[in-house]
Amino acid sequence: MLHRRAFLTTTSLAAASLAAPGLLRGARAAETALVVGVPLPISGAFAANGKFAAMGAALAAEEAGAALGRKVVTRDIDTEGKPAPAARKVQEAMGEGTRLFAGGILSSEALVMGKEVAKGGGVFFTTAGADEITGQECNRGTFRWSVPTYGAIAQTVRPLIEQMPQAKRWYTITPQYVFGEGLLTAAKAVFQEKGIEHVGNSYHSLAEKEFSGYLTNAIAAKPDVLLILNFGSQSSDTLRQAVSFGLKKRMTIVLAWASGLEQFEALGPDLCEGVYFGAQYWHGVDAPLNKALVAKLRETRKMSPNYSFAASYLLTKLLIDAATKAGTTEGPAMIKALEGLTYAGLTGEEEIRAADHQVIKNYYLLKGKAKSAMADKDDFVDIVGSGKSFLTPEAAGCKMT
Amino acid sequence: MIRILDRPLLHFGLAAATVLALPLLLRSGTLASEILIYALAVAACNLLLGYTGLLSFGQGIFFGLGSYVAGLLLLRTPLPVPAMLIVALLAGAATAAAVGWLSIRRQGVYFVMLTLAFSQMFYFLAYTFSGLTGGDNGLLDVPRPALAGVPLSDPWSYYAYVAVLFLGLFAALQRVALSTFGRTLLAIRDNEARARAIGFPVRAFKVAAFAISGAVTAVAGALHAMLIGVAPLSNIEYHTSETLLIMTIIGGSANLFASVLGAAAYLVAGDLLSAIWPRWLLLLGLILIVIALFLQRGLWGLIERATALVSRRPVSEDSAPDRPALPAEEPQP
Repeated sequence: MLHRRAFLTTTSLAAASLAAPGLLRGARAAETALVVGVPLPISGAFAANGKFAAMGAALAAEEAGAALGRKVVTRDIDTEGKPAPAARKVQEAMGEGTRLFAGGILSSEALVMGKEVAKGGGVFFTTAGADEITGQECNRGTFRWSVPTYGAIAQTVRPLIEQMPQAKRWYTITPQYVFGEGLLTAAKAVFQEKGIEHVGNSYHSLAEKEFSGYLTNAIAAKPDVLLILNFGSQSSDTLRQAVSFGLKKRMTIVLAWASGLEQFEALGPDLCEGVYFGAQYWHGVDAPLNKALVAKLRETRKMSPNYSFAASYLLTKLLIDAATKAGTTEGPAMIKALEGLTYAGLTGEEEIRAADHQVIKNYYLLKGKAKSAMADKDDFVDIVGSGKSFLTPEAAGCKMT
Repeated sequence: MIRILDRPLLHFGLAAATVLALPLLLRSGTLASEILIYALAVAACNLLLGYTGLLSFGQGIFFGLGSYVAGLLLLRTPLPVPAMLIVALLAGAATAAAVGWLSIRRQGVYFVMLTLAFSQMFYFLAYTFSGLTGGDNGLLDVPRPALAGVPLSDPWSYYAYVAVLFLGLFAALQRVALSTFGRTLLAIRDNEARARAIGFPVRAFKVAAFAISGAVTAVAGALHAMLIGVAPLSNIEYHTSETLLIMTIIGGSANLFASVLGAAAYLVAGDLLSAIWPRWLLLLGLILIVIALFLQRGLWGLIERATALVSRRPVSEDSAPDRPALPAEEPQP
């Protein structure tokens, strides 16, 4: 009896182990392929951003594969927009040999993934906004393309103060979490420097959807400018409600951190007209790489690249180029290839600062145009200004580990 | 004579078999560990839902609390992992006792609303005290220290550690469910007024059930923070409570092993489907509708039906756990 049990146990386990690899996972890319993990919120509330970002990464891999004559593939990893699944799935991907990662739209997931990838000897390139990514929580394996809060305020608030010297009273609406506090602190510093009266601020929570109370407070404070410091659907909701309250006629409205084309399409030209937006990327930027990307997409897919698509395209391209140059995907060689790199990027010449792994690039001030002035369906805004403003790595709090 | 599927020893055997099978079926040690961690939290949720009849939306509080305890103690003190887990267990028990003591003062929908309110309150506390919890970024860099010289950094070695704790706590929960205390919980669930009339201190029993459930859930939360290297804000939000309840319902609340089934099915399905279809949560909705309409004993009910088909025995339609058999009721060999 004992023998029979032992036999049954052994054979069952053996059969299960033989069948297992095929049971739960599909075959991964061939060993010879260069694999870039793309951890993005493919499901959940930010799935739309994830979809475009995955498309952008896939295009970069496709182009690189054709140019290099080798198989280059992206591996989409659904973070569900949450740090816990993001960390787990990145751990799994690293366990299966992936070392390069381009993604992480939300700050909370990007911070966690950056730590995990660095721990495992890989490289993680992100567009997430939290200052800590290249500030207090910077690490050797993490790189960030997007401009942090200091630069976003410097390139939106500062030029507008210069353009509108008569606008002396500013009111802010701020989400009460780390990102919002970063924008508000930077804005207050500029106000103080330029002698602007900060006539009030309304804090709101992470889950807020109704902004009419804050807008009423803003009206009561009689500001010349309303500076909106939240982002994504919250900034769209704030703007919609502000316009319906008639604020556009009473004051200048500025959204310091807009998502670009995705957001303008959702808002429509009537809401966007006359509003100022700060943005990381705009498809109308006059840069060779951007023009080539726009032309290709318009020809092949009848669309203009939005921020999610374009940023993910560039990050993936940078990782593939660096891996080709380094001849490996392992962390130390990749980091060496990326640190200090200057290249022709989507916003013109861009540089990866070695000390904190922050990409030094332009941030844009855009102004919504009238529907009648739009040259095509995507021509929502004019570029009013652009520039590069960054804290030093020391001032940002980066102690590279 | 009790049915073979109702035997507690079988349930423990199945839990142990799951522990052995996961490394064979899954490539990812991280996913395997996550399944066991959630299985613990779901089993603790089942103690409230299935055994005591309390639909609590507060389980995320204890899960998140355990994560923060792990993060704070491992980052800021030299406390070893076992001691940290004991602190998490005690903190979970104390917090759950307090939440339970206040919530059970009302029944039905008001009880549910109270647990929801507590859930939101603890979430905003964690969000507000960002100096302690890391706020929306979470507590980063939670370490996974070696245990008696054995490193836990490798996913499978950590899995082994989680597996030992899982089996220990699963057995403990089973012991609770099979004890006089557990049988009294069933009596309270079935007829609270009668239990009170007999003389049982119903409130004290419910608070104790809350405390035990909170303690185990907090340990699960602590293990989760060590697994992913962060104590995220999302661990304490309402959504975590909801996820634990959904896993409990998918598995079925008939016994504690059903909770293991629920956790495994949810996590494996999510892992597979999310990469294929961005809207996989729609499928989850459909599955819940099917379970609510036709399969109220969850996946465990499916196993029961399959067994009944083979043995041609009727299946109970009651979604709650059967009264656990006492050892004395075991058939003699």
